[in-house]
Amino acid sequence: MVGVLIRLESTLGRHGVSGTRGGTLALLVGGAALTWYVTVVASSAEVRSQLLMLLGAVWAGAWILGPTITNGVGVLRPQYFTLLPLERSQVGTGLWATAFVGVGPALTLVAMASTARHAWLSEPATLSLGLLGMLLSVVFMVSLSRLVFRALGAAMHTRVGMEIASVQWGLIVAGLFFGWAAIGPALSAAGDLAERGFPAPVVTVLAALPTSWPIAAVDAAASGAWGAAFGLLGAFTLLTAATVLATVRLLAPRVNARGRGRRSRPLGRRRSTRRLPLLPDGPLGAVVGKELRSWWRDPWRALELRSALYAGLFIGLFGLMADRPWITLSAGVFTALVMAMGGSNMYGHDGSALWLTVVGQGRDTVRADVRGRQIAIALLIVPGTLLLGLVSVLVSGEPGASPYVLAGLLVVLGVGNGLSVLLSVVAATPGVEPHLRVDANDTGDTRVQVWTSLIAIPPLSSPTIVVALLAGGWWAVPVALVNGAAGAWLLGRLAHRRLAARLPETFARIRYGGRVAERSLPRSGGDPLDLLERTALSTNEDTRPTGS
Amino acid sequence: MPALELDSLTKTFDETRAADRVSLSVPRGSWTGLVGPNGAGKTTSLSMAVGLLRPDSGTARVLGVDVWAEPVEAKRRLGVLPDGLSLPERLTGGELLDYWGRLRGLDRDLTRDRSEEMLRILELDRAERNGTLIAEYSTGMRKKIGLATALLHTPEVLVLDEPYEAVDPVSARVLTAILRRYTDGGGTVIISSHVMALVERITDRVAIIADGRVLADGPLDLVRGDDPALEDTFVRLVGAREVGEGDLAWLGF
Ligand SMILES: Nc1ncnc2c1ncn2[C@@H]1O[C@H](COP(=O)(O)OP(=O)(O)O)[C@@H](O)[C@H]1O
Ligand SMILES: [Mg+2]
Repeated sequence: MVGVLIRLESTLGRHGVSGTRGGTLALLVGGAALTWYVTVVASSAEVRSQLLMLLGAVWAGAWILGPTITNGVGVLRPQYFTLLPLERSQVGTGLWATAFVGVGPALTLVAMASTARHAWLSEPATLSLGLLGMLLSVVFMVSLSRLVFRALGAAMHTRVGMEIASVQWGLIVAGLFFGWAAIGPALSAAGDLAERGFPAPVVTVLAALPTSWPIAAVDAAASGAWGAAFGLLGAFTLLTAATVLATVRLLAPRVNARGRGRRSRPLGRRRSTRRLPLLPDGPLGAVVGKELRSWWRDPWRALELRSALYAGLFIGLFGLMADRPWITLSAGVFTALVMAMGGSNMYGHDGSALWLTVVGQGRDTVRADVRGRQIAIALLIVPGTLLLGLVSVLVSGEPGASPYVLAGLLVVLGVGNGLSVLLSVVAATPGVEPHLRVDANDTGDTRVQVWTSLIAIPPLSSPTIVVALLAGGWWAVPVALVNGAAGAWLLGRLAHRRLAARLPETFARIRYGGRVAERSLPRSGGDPLDLLERTALSTNEDTRPTGS
Repeated sequence: MPALELDSLTKTFDETRAADRVSLSVPRGSWTGLVGPNGAGKTTSLSMAVGLLRPDSGTARVLGVDVWAEPVEAKRRLGVLPDGLSLPERLTGGELLDYWGRLRGLDRDLTRDRSEEMLRILELDRAERNGTLIAEYSTGMRKKIGLATALLHTPEVLVLDEPYEAVDPVSARVLTAILRRYTDGGGTVIISSHVMALVERITDRVAIIADGRVLADGPLDLVRGDDPALEDTFVRLVGAREVGEGDLAWLGF
């Protein structure tokens, strides 16, 4: 049974595109090499132990975040097996075992072998503890990785779960960006670490982390405290066992893939009237109403929206904690930026439901579809970002920054809004079809959209930036207003013209996948949008299983 | 002028020729069944006929209007039910019809009256009262709400891909009655199905398709000729593997 699953997993894996695999492999090899290098150059056993603890935590963190960020792992879905005459727990165990197949776990084992080496160098008698700790660490990390990934997926079936997932995502995104801000000081400090070790409070925190227990056990044994050593390693064994059990349970397929019964009425659904008040008749009102309801009710869309808000919130908090006012002040702009990326694959997100737009094409409907989506996003995101901006100015105690914050918000909200729909059209990438979604990242791959947004938003905002730098904040506000409005309008116009011109092609991209879509594009040359679409086709992976 | 005309539609996926010069003429007021086994090219042909999939060559005309040259005009006359595609999953059936009516530029009250009536006749009204989202609909319910969207703007030609699939027998009768009413009123229907007995029972014209090619097309009686059932006609045209005397001898007790 397990053997069959493992073979299936590597068969499916082979069909994946190898781009990310290369990147992931490079990271893994680099990580393993770094782990060994750092522990070899460590000046003393004590410093080596501290570094091992830090690296253990980093490896565990990478295992927890990796699958969610890279989209690719966990090709085998529990639901593939719902109809097989197997015990649910058998499937769970089998899927758990498949998690250990591949270079990831192997290279983690290589890295963790540095724990065994540490044991050997400290006191040869502790080698067996070190080896056991090494194996347990790998089992723990890989299981925890699957556990978190599945828990995020299971969470998508309840509102509270979605909220928790949003907080996690917000934290991840904010952490990634705050990480860049913190990387300078960290690098300058790194040189000293191998020499003198960490300050005392950091060591205390590090030693408390579960991933540090095997190392602490080795250290205890080396100093003769074998009782403490067995206690620590025993505790880690128990924790690993509990993680494995929980993972096996969560990996067992659920009976119903489509979501549980819902007791309350869906949001935005009034008993008396089917209409959202204030929406105009006609295509534009139709699209705005449909979009607002989808953003409210679809957990996958709500996840994008809410994690953008949380990301801004956390950036603000990080800035406060680190006493970096300029980071705090960017909270609102950051939310607008993350939301620009979160809305950058709306057509992929809706899956083959685009057929309605194709079949219902009227004189003005395609434009209404694009503009309606822009309006809905603006209605949802503007209040939150303005509030974040206002609060950030108040708590950072920098009232002089308010025009800059306002200008930043206006320009990024506008330009980001326009860029979202344009990328949604040009780089549309299908995920799992909406009614079959299970996991938090079952919506389409958005790698190209994220990078394009990061690269394109600064130049698109350059009029505002130039005026802010040369003439000051208050001059920048009206410029930002015009810059943002023009961005939203012009990019949206590009989007609906492109969509109208390539309506069946965009549908084919989603319905039939990349190979069929490729043929509708010129092989080389064409306009910049063609180039962008080709890039998205060759870079973003189709998550959706293809076939008729 | 035929209601729907498929003119030499061709589409190749990778190596497979999914549709090979598919030509078909559907007269006004008729009910045509497009039959063929799974993978015969029914979905591919119909998708090209309604503007969802751009053909490699050939075109389709709705009441004389070219689908690929004047899509807006052609699509106004068409009602379409594709097979197995997503819908705006987080709307209720009623909200979907409301969205669809507005998008099609229908009057607000007209949309409400029609959608309420259709939800009632298709027995989706209870789900609607409970606020059931389309994501929670069964496959049969999805077919029914899809049919309601296809009918809402009273198109002159209906193109339905596998409309009876996964629909329970009671609902299937309702569906047949609705389509009969529609053709009696002058509407034209083309449905696809891989169940020949069903098509034989309800339609008045058939087209047989296999391996992307139309093998026969015309009034049911003419196509069937002297064969006792449409299935036999199909086997005669395509050839079929029979289970011989000696085969599967182990299947006994
Ligand atoms: N996206 C695709 N890529 C490759 N081949 C496809 C694709 N979609 C359909 N086909 C092939 O086209 C042929 C016709 O499919 P289809 O029109 O769906 O048949 P039907 O609807 O009659 O069951 C089949 O051989 C199928 O395998
Ligand atoms: Mg089909």
